[in-house]
Amino acid sequence: MSSEIRREVVFASSPDEVWDALTDADRLAEWFANDVELDPRPGGEGIFRWDDGAERHAVVEEAEAPHRFAFEWADPGEAATTSVEFTLEEVPEGTRLTVVESAPAGPRACMAEWAWAAELQALAGPVRARVR
Amino acid sequence: MADVVGAVFDALADRNRRALIGFLAERETATATELAAELPLTRQGVSKHLETLWDARLVRRRRRGRETRYRLTPEPMTEAMSWMAAVGAQWDERLAALAAHLAAPAEKVTRERAEEGAARTRTTRRGQP
Repeated sequence: MSSEIRREVVFASSPDEVWDALTDADRLAEWFANDVELDPRPGGEGIFRWDDGAERHAVVEEAEAPHRFAFEWADPGEAATTSVEFTLEEVPEGTRLTVVESAPAGPRACMAEWAWAAELQALAGPVRARVR
Repeated sequence: MADVVGAVFDALADRNRRALIGFLAERETATATELAAELPLTRQGVSKHLETLWDARLVRRRRRGRETRYRLTPEPMTEAMSWMAAVGAQWDERLAALAAHLAAPAEKVTRERAEEGAARTRTTRRGQP
């Protein structure tokens, strides 16, 4: 375990189909957010809006159809960004999609030392006892 | 919230700082000198790490006479763990929505239409409420 959120799902669709659903603004507006603007090219910008008022701004880092799509995003007004990476892999059943969202990096970010979360879990026991 | 969580993750990204938190969790309070005795660090090194933990609001400090005593205030860590749980739950929901989207019959209609290049007038996914 590390300080990132990772999910893996296999869809019965081709990588091209999954790629379109991940990168086309109109299609993203059908499953990801309620209103989407996105220029899915490296350096391109995106805005995701949800009906509950939530909004996130993104900048595309990588776009290699139909294998890899990555962006950084943040809530407007917050300095801490997280990165989201989609990896698509063709498998006999269709497409394996892996999504990884990193923990937010603050001003003292030290990316080489991100493997702490297992230790954090071990700490959680004694620490919880101190939370009043 | 991500800004607070970011500062906590930064603070916890160092092995020595995690060790300091572990030692502080076992004690009510400790000084930098006491903590330095437990770790392969100088008192100055410990002080520097405690400063970072203080920036992330993970410790409180109180001066008593000539010594400064540190106490663990782990609430921001709980916040960081909640953040990870919340983001994980969001992705579970989004991926379930993506699976439904990829499997939706209305979506297949749209795709067939695109493949055929035919200008059919059947209801597309846009027509859904």
